[in-house]
Amino acid sequence: MKWKETAGVLAVVLMLVGLPISLWSWRNIIVPHRYPRGAKIFTLTATAKGGIWTQDPIVGFNYWWRTPTRTNEITVNQGDHVVVRVRSADVLHSFAIPIMRIGPLDVPAGHTIEVQFDANRSGPLTFLCWQMCSPAHGNLHGRFMVMGNAKQESW
Amino acid sequence: MATVDNTPHVNETLPDFVPVESLTKPRRIDLFARLPWLKRLVKMRSFQAFLILPNLAMFYLFFIAGIFGTPVGNRNIIIVFVWILWWFFLIAALVPFASRFWCTMCPLPFFGDWLQRRAIIRVRPGKSAGTENKFFGLWKRWPKALSNIWPQNFGFLLLATFSALLVTRPIVSVIVFSILVLVATALALVYRLRTFCNYVCPISGFLSLYSMTSTIELRSVDKDVCLKCKYKSCIRGSDQGWACPWNIYMGKLDRNNYCGLCFECVKSCHYDNISLFARPFATSDVGLRGYDEVWKASIMLVLAFSYSVVLLGPWGTLKDWANISERHQWGGFGIYAGTQALLALVIYPGLYYLSIRLAKWYARADSIPTKELFLKYAYMLVPMGLLAWIAFSVPLIMVNGSYIISVASDPLGWGMNLFHTAEFPWIPLYPASVPFIQVPILLAGLYYGLLGLNKVGRELFPNPQQRYRSMAPPAALLLGTTLIFMKLFIG
Repeated sequence: MKWKETAGVLAVVLMLVGLPISLWSWRNIIVPHRYPRGAKIFTLTATAKGGIWTQDPIVGFNYWWRTPTRTNEITVNQGDHVVVRVRSADVLHSFAIPIMRIGPLDVPAGHTIEVQFDANRSGPLTFLCWQMCSPAHGNLHGRFMVMGNAKQESW
Repeated sequence: MATVDNTPHVNETLPDFVPVESLTKPRRIDLFARLPWLKRLVKMRSFQAFLILPNLAMFYLFFIAGIFGTPVGNRNIIIVFVWILWWFFLIAALVPFASRFWCTMCPLPFFGDWLQRRAIIRVRPGKSAGTENKFFGLWKRWPKALSNIWPQNFGFLLLATFSALLVTRPIVSVIVFSILVLVATALALVYRLRTFCNYVCPISGFLSLYSMTSTIELRSVDKDVCLKCKYKSCIRGSDQGWACPWNIYMGKLDRNNYCGLCFECVKSCHYDNISLFARPFATSDVGLRGYDEVWKASIMLVLAFSYSVVLLGPWGTLKDWANISERHQWGGFGIYAGTQALLALVIYPGLYYLSIRLAKWYARADSIPTKELFLKYAYMLVPMGLLAWIAFSVPLIMVNGSYIISVASDPLGWGMNLFHTAEFPWIPLYPASVPFIQVPILLAGLYYGLLGLNKVGRELFPNPQQRYRSMAPPAALLLGTTLIFMKLFIG
């Protein structure tokens, strides 16, 4: 009987510790390994309230009280392989980078869609929400600033 | 004043629609005798742990998902699995067919039990006041004034009032479940046994009421053995099983209401006198025993109606009033919450009381106290309420069931795709057929309500004419309730 009790306690401890570790590992170890080595991975979440693209995680516990930091510009280097994981925290949004002919791609609430491209040209690449998602829809835009080799050196 | 003759009449003119013998003899099948493996299974000390631990793991995942997962309800496992899958499974399958089997595997009191017993699987023989087991904690008695289900009634009504938040916002579900776990644990450290489950847990309140209808029961095989038993190990515990966490002496158990099906009595009984029985649906435990139970029945029925109006109905204004987190219409929310409470606590019980007064007058039943009639006839609201809840839950699972498939693959809305179904589209399952399923369910509720009414009536009024007269007003109320639900569902 004693070994059963020990097994029961171990099962509880393993569960309490193992589950968060497994989830953390999935997000921070397994996901980055899906993409080519050196890829620049960004997670962009759209919120209708205020029309904000943000790189802050918008999750259950902070959605209600915290206004996320607006992401106006993301800097990448020319030649980078860029991965954008696009999410919506509330309503149906649509993601597009018109100059790269990416999108428009529907981003339903709570879903994650993935966009990959090679930043081969320097300069700004505007990304935006492509559909009338909310009264603040007009604010839902930002840009990838692709730094050319000369610019990188001067930077 | 007219006197009442309660003796049976020889020349009865009205037929009885259920044979007398079927009501006097308990019709039940001893499942442990038929299925010996089932008995061996529940007698295993690790049986309950095997059920609770996987549930606890799921529950823990729900907590993590509610805090760190997407705030979008239909993409978060805590909302989809708890309020769509679990709720439907609980109300439509577990309660009617397995009584309080949910309580066997409920993870909410796990940590409280663990601290109180300092054991997950094994039994601790010893002495704690009134038992043969060693328990830890202050081991105080729960106040007598609170030894009823009123706290559960008000708790459930309060939760239901904010249900639009609870069932759509992951963090609200996390907060509510966290409070329940903390309260369960704290009460286990201060008070005896499962005080939380018996008197506080809002889920336990409605399980206790609707488990009366269930097709299974845990009872002693022979009551005489219990009466002669000198050990009373079901309530006192033994070296084989813990003292009943629900503080039940099996010799007197005749209703499912407060038995949490932990099966400790099966393990501890010295005479092997406890068994699981199968029985007919909704016709065995009839008769409520306290005003708290009657009001529970009323609250549950009114909430089924209120949810059906707000969540399934076409009235956008009502939805806005209930959805306080998005709309912030406090005035409207006040009207919604106030009307709901008034209906559940005053108007519906008032109508029922009037029907009972009318029943007494119409049947000339002056010898039977109004209180007795009020309590006993209230059983009719139990099967009606359960089946109204099932009817309400049917469209939830049929319309929103496809979320379960997508969320199973991506429980936190992080972009996982565990079973390659994360992008499974939202597909309502035959939504046009929903009313055709709801109406027979409601009619079944009416049928079983009337059957219960008739069974109680037989005990109170041997004279069929007097019985049917006494049944007419409450039956009319039940019929009216059914018609209102049908109007709501069919349109």
